[in-house]
Amino acid sequence: MSADDRASDLAVPPTPWRQLAETLRDHLRHPGLAIGTGLLALLLLVALFAPWIAPYPPLKTNMSNTLAPMSSAHWLGTDQFGRDVLSRILLGTQVSLQVAFAVVALSLTAGTLIGAIAGFAGGWIERITLVIIDILLAFPGFLFALALVAARGSSLESVIIAVAIAFTPRVAAVMRSVVLTIKPRPFIESSRAIGMSEWRVLWRHVIPNALPPVIVVATVSAATAILAEAGLSFLGLGVQPPTPTWGNIIADGNSLITTNPWISLSAGFCIAIAVIAFNLLGDGLRDTLDPQMKRQTGRGLL
Amino acid sequence: MTGNEQPPAPDEPLLSVANVSKIFSGGRSLLGRQRSAVRAVDGVSLELRAGETLGLVGETGSGKSTLGRLVLRLVEPTSGRITFAGEDLTAKSMAEVRRLRGSIQMVFQDPYGSLDPRMSVGALIAEPMIVHGAPRADIPRRVSEIMGLVGLDARLAHRYPHQFSGGQRQRIGIARAMALSPKLLVLDEPVSALDVSIQAQILNLLRDIQQRTGMAYLFIAHDLAVVRHVSNRVAVMYLGRIVETGPRDKLYGAPRHPYTISLLSAVPLASPALERTRSRIPVYGEISSGTAVPSGCRFHPRCFRARLVAGAGKVPTVASGDGIIPAVCAQQDPKLEGPTSEHLSACHFGPEHDGRIATLQPAGERA
Amino acid sequence: MMQPKPATVLSIRGLTTTFPGPRGDIVIVDDVSLDVARGETLAVVGESGSGKTMTFHSALGLVPSPGRVVAGEVLLDGADLLRLPPHELRQRRGADIAIVFQDPLTALNPVFTIGDQIGEVLRAHTRLSRSSARKRAIETLERVHIPDPHRRVDDFPHQFSGGMRQRALIAMAIALEPKVLIADEPTTALDVTVQAQVLELLADLKRDTGMGLVLITHDLGVVARYADRLAVMYAGRVMEQGTADRVFETPRHPYTLSLFRSIPHLDTPAGTDLTPIEGLPPNPALLPTGCAFEPRCFHGGGREDCRSGRPALTPTDVPEHAARCWHWTELASERRPS
Repeated sequence: MSADDRASDLAVPPTPWRQLAETLRDHLRHPGLAIGTGLLALLLLVALFAPWIAPYPPLKTNMSNTLAPMSSAHWLGTDQFGRDVLSRILLGTQVSLQVAFAVVALSLTAGTLIGAIAGFAGGWIERITLVIIDILLAFPGFLFALALVAARGSSLESVIIAVAIAFTPRVAAVMRSVVLTIKPRPFIESSRAIGMSEWRVLWRHVIPNALPPVIVVATVSAATAILAEAGLSFLGLGVQPPTPTWGNIIADGNSLITTNPWISLSAGFCIAIAVIAFNLLGDGLRDTLDPQMKRQTGRGLL
Repeated sequence: MTGNEQPPAPDEPLLSVANVSKIFSGGRSLLGRQRSAVRAVDGVSLELRAGETLGLVGETGSGKSTLGRLVLRLVEPTSGRITFAGEDLTAKSMAEVRRLRGSIQMVFQDPYGSLDPRMSVGALIAEPMIVHGAPRADIPRRVSEIMGLVGLDARLAHRYPHQFSGGQRQRIGIARAMALSPKLLVLDEPVSALDVSIQAQILNLLRDIQQRTGMAYLFIAHDLAVVRHVSNRVAVMYLGRIVETGPRDKLYGAPRHPYTISLLSAVPLASPALERTRSRIPVYGEISSGTAVPSGCRFHPRCFRARLVAGAGKVPTVASGDGIIPAVCAQQDPKLEGPTSEHLSACHFGPEHDGRIATLQPAGERA
Repeated sequence: MMQPKPATVLSIRGLTTTFPGPRGDIVIVDDVSLDVARGETLAVVGESGSGKTMTFHSALGLVPSPGRVVAGEVLLDGADLLRLPPHELRQRRGADIAIVFQDPLTALNPVFTIGDQIGEVLRAHTRLSRSSARKRAIETLERVHIPDPHRRVDDFPHQFSGGMRQRALIAMAIALEPKVLIADEPTTALDVTVQAQVLELLADLKRDTGMGLVLITHDLGVVARYADRLAVMYAGRVMEQGTADRVFETPRHPYTLSLFRSIPHLDTPAGTDLTPIEGLPPNPALLPTGCAFEPRCFHGGGREDCRSGRPALTPTDVPEHAARCWHWTELASERRPS
């Protein structure tokens, strides 16, 4: 067949590495995605190596050197207990990213499954799930977190579970609506026609095709998770002092905001950076992850 | 039902559809109003023998695609019986039907949408074998074998559907359907989405495959010339009913039902000389929707023969829409019967009434 | 070369449209010249990607960005549309030259009534009042045989059947009595019986108003039944043109001949073998240097002159007929298979 002859010069299978490199290059051409990925990679490195980078142990108090101004010894000064603010912020990165990743992992898994099953099954399963999702969405997430902390005691796990539960219905709602657009596509019927079971169709064809937009939502939810953790810790309901988290550091610096503003401001700055990083990443993924959108640009004209 | 099931006799049909109906119930709208039900397929019977091609033609809304899906039980019949190779498909559990889908496969119209964009071609063709538990070790060899059979370069197995042209994608769809060596292939408009220059490639490929494997085809299409080209027998559907069925040459050479005659006359021939001498048969209006099936014969609002017979004035008539038609057409549903047991048509009046067809002018159509 | 005939109402000369590509400009419409006379139907035949639609979008200044018309002129009653200032071109579009699109559902705005949409066309070009525009809309709907136009004028597009939507679009196009009507695959979305009704309507309107009709299609049967003249396009170029009778009786381009042989016809013996056109429709970014059809050609495929040189559209032995093939004389000595 001449049709295939002409295509056969391109038939050399690309090596997986080259393919990966090409995909990466394609994605990183998106400025938002590149900046977001860069910032996040930096935060990750800081979190991983914080114990080694930090110039002082974050919990070590020094009552003879409290509220020191910025100096070459203490770049961001010290707090009212003489602890090095920079070291505390570096260690705080760990908690924030831990919360972010755990929340994304939990809410993505649970939300994807719940949303996919609801959308794919339809009928009463879908209706009941929708009602539950709506109730959870209407319930203020922060209030829910407060209730959970009150019941379980304030700890990192409580924060993660509370925020994950608040986000799962959001992911599930998005997942369901995406699944509804995939369900009528011909390849789903064609999968049934070859004799696939419904579970297999859901697992092999529906979920993989529905994931990209859901991943975007989950990425953006990571940013909110960081904010939620900081807020709860600031109120003293999250991770308990003296463990350094960005929220705790802001709380510590709160009373000193007029005299030593750097303590609160620097932690606030870190929160802002992390939130921006996740949001840029989410926007970038939305633009690049959708193969339909990629195909539409440029190709349709011919 | 007799208890002792006999193996099918050699001339027993491979597929037998008996009085099958599908009514899509409308459910309730947002405001709780009952939506009207759609009678997509309404008491259809047909038979298909091994190695044979039955062409199913009709307009949008005739129910031909639903009928194809009923055969695979991708759509659940409301009533009726579908027998495949001696087994009653309608009585089986969904799991058994899924197992049987190895023997009945389908090729879809849309070569772009019917392949999962996230799977490579090799994986797509291997999938039916995996689902039906073929030995894993055999699969790669079988995939390249089938790709060769449908005229695809087996070295392209790692590629994704969007890297192929429409015609090649339809080859992938056919390869996927053939992966389990089915006995019956339901082809739902397999070439209508393709460029004209590509259609012949696919039609010839389907012919070669049938000659090699002896598969039976249920070929669903709206293009009368394509159906004539591929079919041994043809059934014409209108609003959920078969209105005429017969051997290909009989149906195209001496069509009996006024709808078939109108359809054939509406297809322009690729010859200006023939077109100039051809008489045009008017078709009135458009196909009604399945929610409001006309009374009596469901073709009567569009029928030229009804108007001719009424015009001759030997039968009681009634007014219908913008014309006068025989009362029987508006009141009685005609049975599918015919001069021979092979060639059947559902019309109260025979083609002998069409003599004065040239006197008819479509309402307001031509000066 | 050819002077426009006196009755010519639309004359496209050397129209060339390009789109920027990764390796230089991609030519989508390649030096296309076509004439449409008053009261004449010109059919433009080609597969998807042949440039048949883009030719007329270019002629009307509707090329989507980043495409550009780089050469040629489009004479409508002697005035070059491509050199008109934008507001004048807009005035001409709709009033003097109108286009009917392929997909009647997406071409109509779902939130306005049919009457509003026809009225809008009228009011954009004339000083009609709202009520007289509505009256004209009803008249126009009557002309396209919409039953009960007084009532249907207030319907929304979704209340119309597919055939009626296409009629409504035709009504919008003819509301201002254009000199040329371009119908872009007007019936591909319709069933065959409805297709026949719509095409008959177009033929009647053309006869009554004397407008020139351009029928863009891929269906050779439609061409045979309705066209006076015919241009076959491939890869953005006109491959063959002439009167419909001549092109069907004595095609002088291998592509035209291949098209006939590759589709089943109702008037040939059943089971006649089809000869497919091998290979793929052309990719405009990767056209061969020579004849665009050479890679798929049963006739000249592989010959040196076909590979290296681009044939021009040259007159053949058939009157009023031209083909873009180095070897048309050999086709002329073959008989057309029937």
